[in-house]
Amino acid sequence: MFTKRLLTVLLVSVLFILAVAPAAAQEGGNLRWSLEGINDLVSLDPAKASDSQGFTVIGLLYGGLVRLDGDLNVIPELAESWTVSEDGLVYTFTLREGAAFSDGSAVTASDVVWSLTHALDPATGGWTGPFYLSNIAGANEVASGSTPELSGAVAVDDRTVQITILQPSAYFLSQLTFGSAKIVSSKQATTDAQWENNPLSSGPFQLKEWNHGQGIVLVPNPGYYQKSPLASITMPFIQDSETAYQLYRTGQLDIMGSQQNGIPSVHVAEAEGQADFRSTSLFAVRYVAFNNKLAPFDNADVRRAFALALDKQTLANDVLAGTVVAADRILPLGIPASELPVTSLSFDPAAAKAALVAAGVTPETIGTVKLTYGVEGDNERVVTVLQAMWKESLGIDVTLEPLELSTFSARLNETTQTPETGLQMYYSVWGADYPDPQNFLSQQLRTDVGNNNGHYSNTEFDALVDQADVLTGDVATRLGLYNQAEQIAVSEVGWLPLFNPRLNILVNPKVVGVVFNGQGLIIPDFAALNVSA
Amino acid sequence: MGNVILRRFVSLPFVIFSITFITFWVGFLAPGDPILSMMGGRNDQATYERLRHLYGLDQTWNDQYFRYLGGLLRGDLGLSFRYQGRPVVEIVSGGIPVSVSLGAVALVLSLSIGVPVGIWAALWQNTTAERLSMAAMLMLYSIPSFVLIPIFRWVNYQFYARGWPSLPVAGWGQPEHWIMPVLVLAAASVGYIARLTRVSMLEVLKQDYLRTAYAKGLGQNRILWVHAFRNAVLPIITVVGPSVAFLVTGAFVVENIFAIPGIGFLSVQAIQQRDYPVIQSTTVILAAAVVLMNLITDLLYSLLDPRIRVEG
Repeated sequence: MFTKRLLTVLLVSVLFILAVAPAAAQEGGNLRWSLEGINDLVSLDPAKASDSQGFTVIGLLYGGLVRLDGDLNVIPELAESWTVSEDGLVYTFTLREGAAFSDGSAVTASDVVWSLTHALDPATGGWTGPFYLSNIAGANEVASGSTPELSGAVAVDDRTVQITILQPSAYFLSQLTFGSAKIVSSKQATTDAQWENNPLSSGPFQLKEWNHGQGIVLVPNPGYYQKSPLASITMPFIQDSETAYQLYRTGQLDIMGSQQNGIPSVHVAEAEGQADFRSTSLFAVRYVAFNNKLAPFDNADVRRAFALALDKQTLANDVLAGTVVAADRILPLGIPASELPVTSLSFDPAAAKAALVAAGVTPETIGTVKLTYGVEGDNERVVTVLQAMWKESLGIDVTLEPLELSTFSARLNETTQTPETGLQMYYSVWGADYPDPQNFLSQQLRTDVGNNNGHYSNTEFDALVDQADVLTGDVATRLGLYNQAEQIAVSEVGWLPLFNPRLNILVNPKVVGVVFNGQGLIIPDFAALNVSA
Repeated sequence: MGNVILRRFVSLPFVIFSITFITFWVGFLAPGDPILSMMGGRNDQATYERLRHLYGLDQTWNDQYFRYLGGLLRGDLGLSFRYQGRPVVEIVSGGIPVSVSLGAVALVLSLSIGVPVGIWAALWQNTTAERLSMAAMLMLYSIPSFVLIPIFRWVNYQFYARGWPSLPVAGWGQPEHWIMPVLVLAAASVGYIARLTRVSMLEVLKQDYLRTAYAKGLGQNRILWVHAFRNAVLPIITVVGPSVAFLVTGAFVVENIFAIPGIGFLSVQAIQQRDYPVIQSTTVILAAAVVLMNLITDLLYSLLDPRIRVEG
C-alpha cells in the first residue's frame, strides 16, 4: 500500500543518511562532560547556585581567592598569597598580578568585596552565602538585611583585600573555595540587569552558549592565569543517569558520572576493570539517626542495642555487592582525624540483647518502632536488610516508612523544629562540604545545631568540639580533640554509621588532567586539562 | 451546531479554572517545599525563613492563589522558584514547540501505521498472518514505554558495537534524535489504533449497504475506500482526542529518558523540587491542550457524520 511504501522509503533514506553522515567527531579539544540529575542550571550567578551540578559549572566559570588542589589542600587561585594575623582573625589577601575577567578588565579587591556582600545580600535569594560565609564579621548583619555593608571585608587597595572573621577557624579558607565566595565583576553586575545570562568570567572558562533544558558550552577564558589548551567544554544536562551511561557507551561523552549520580549500580559490574572506570570512596557516610527526645531512643542503651545488632560487613559485601565500604565510625576515611583510632560498636548479637535488657526494654514493651527514609537509589534494599537484622538479633519488628525525597526533607525539618511530632528513626546521608572533621562532628552532632535533626546532645562532646573548632595552628591537638568527640558520639550512638558510599564514574583515557577523589572530580591545573584527539 | 461549539468554548475557561484551583490546592498541601529542596538537608532556620518570605511562601493560601490567578489573566505565569527569578513563561515557552512537534509526529505515525494495518487485518480476517499481527499490536499496546526503551537501546547498542549505523541514545536537535522517541511514543497508540480500526472495519463490512454495493456491481476498491473506510474511520477520529492525553503522559517518560527539552521534562523535575509556578503552568497548559484537542475532534466528527450534525 501507499503508506507502507512511503514508510519503507523513509526508513531506507534514514539509514542511508546515518551511514554517510560523519560520526560525531571528537575534534582535538572538545571535552564532552555530562551533568546528570538536572534538566537545567539554576543560575550562573555563583551566589544562587545550590546544587553540585551548578557548583561544577560555577567552578569552571569563576575563580575564588583560593581553590582546592588534587590532594584537597587550599591553594592560591585569584589571590597569589595571603597572611593571617597573630590572633587568627584577620586574613589579608594579595590578588594575582594581571588577573582579569573575560573581557580584559582587571579583577580588583572591590570585586571581591562586592561578590561576598552579594552572596550574603538577602535580595539575592541564595542560601549558600549565609551558610558558608557566616564566620565573616558582619555577615549576619548583611544576611538579615540590617545593613548593606559587609564590615568584615575591606578593599585596602586595588590588589589587597582584608577579611576579618569572628572566631579562629582552621577551615575558613576551605569555606572560601565554595561557590558563594567566587568573584564576579561588580561593574557588570551593577550595570547590567541581565548579567547572569552572559556573565564575565573570572575563572578558567567563559560561557559560549547556554541552551536551556539541553546543555551549556564553555570556551577558555584568556584572562585566567592557567591557559586551557581545550577548544571547548560541552556539558549536556542529562536527567537520567542510565541515559548518560548509554551516551558514554555510544561514544557521545568523555566524562560521565558525578556526585550523587554515578554509574547506575546495575552497570558497575560490567564497567569495572575497563580502562575508563574510576572509583573512589566518597567523603560521605550513610547512617541511621534517632530522635533523642522521644522514647525509646532517648535511652543510649536502646540505641546501642540497635547498633550492635547490625552486621555491616554483610550489608556492604553481600547486599551491596562490595560497592560500598562498611563504616563503624562517623568520619569517612580520608577526612583528617579519621586516621586516629576509635573503638566502635561492632556486630555482636549477644551484646545487643544485653544492652536491650540493660535499658529495661523488651520487644513487647518497646512499642512501635518506625524507620523513615527517602526513596532513591539503593535505600529500599538497605532498610529492608536493616529491618531483617533487627528482627533477627533483637526480636523487634521495625516498620518501614518510605517517603518521597522532598517530603523526607520536610519531615526532617519538622523533627528539628518540633521533635515531639518528628521522625522516630531515619536513614540519611551526609557528604562533606569540605574535608574537615568539623563538618561531620560539630556541624551535625553538637547540641542544637541546625543539622542535628535528631537532637543528640552530650555536654562533653560539645565542650570538645567547641574547643577544637577555634583551634588553629596546632593541628595534632585539634584533631585529637575531634577524635575524642567522635569516640563519644560513636559509643553513645549519636549516629549509627552504616557505610561510606563509593562514587563510580567513567572517564575516557583520552582525557588528561583530572583527579578523582572523595570530593569528586578536581582539576588541579587547568593548563593540563585536555582531551587528545 | 453553532450552539455546541459555543457551549464548548464557554466551558473551556471553567475547566482551566478548576484545574488551577485543584493543582494549587494539592501543591499547597503536599509536604515539602522548594526552599528545603534547594538547601539539600543543610539546616539553617534563619535563612530558610528569610527565603520563604522572599518567595511569598509564608502567605496564606488564598493570597498566594489569587495572586497567581491575577497573573495568569495578565499572561504572567509568575517567576520560577528553582530557576531563581526566571519567568515561567520563558521556561515553558521553550518546551511547548518541542513537545507539540514530538507528539504530532508520533500521532501521525501511529495513525499512518495503525490504520492501514487494521484495515489489512480486517480484510484478511481469521488468517494466521492477521492473528499474529493483532497479537503484535496487543503487545505494543500493553508494553509500557519504560520497558520498550531499554529494549530499543539494547538493540541500538548491538548495532553500535558492530560499527553499523546506529541512533543517538539521547538528545535533541538533529533529525536522528527524533527516531527512537517517536517510535516509543507511537508504539502504544499504534497497537490501540490498529485494533480499533480492525474492529470498526469488521463492523462496517458486515453492513447491508455494502452488500447492496456488491450486488450493484461496484468494484472492490471503490467499495473498500469510498464506502467502507469512510464509515469505519469515524471511531478512530473520536479516539484521537483522548490519544493526545495518552501521548502527553507518555511524553513524561520519553522526554525524561531521552533528555528532550519539552514540557514533560520540565514537569517532572518541577514536581520533585516543588517548583510550584512551573507545576501550575505546565498542568494548565497540558489540560488546555487536551481539552482543545477533544473539542476539535468532536467538531470534526460532527462535520464528517451528518447524523450527528442533525442531532447537534
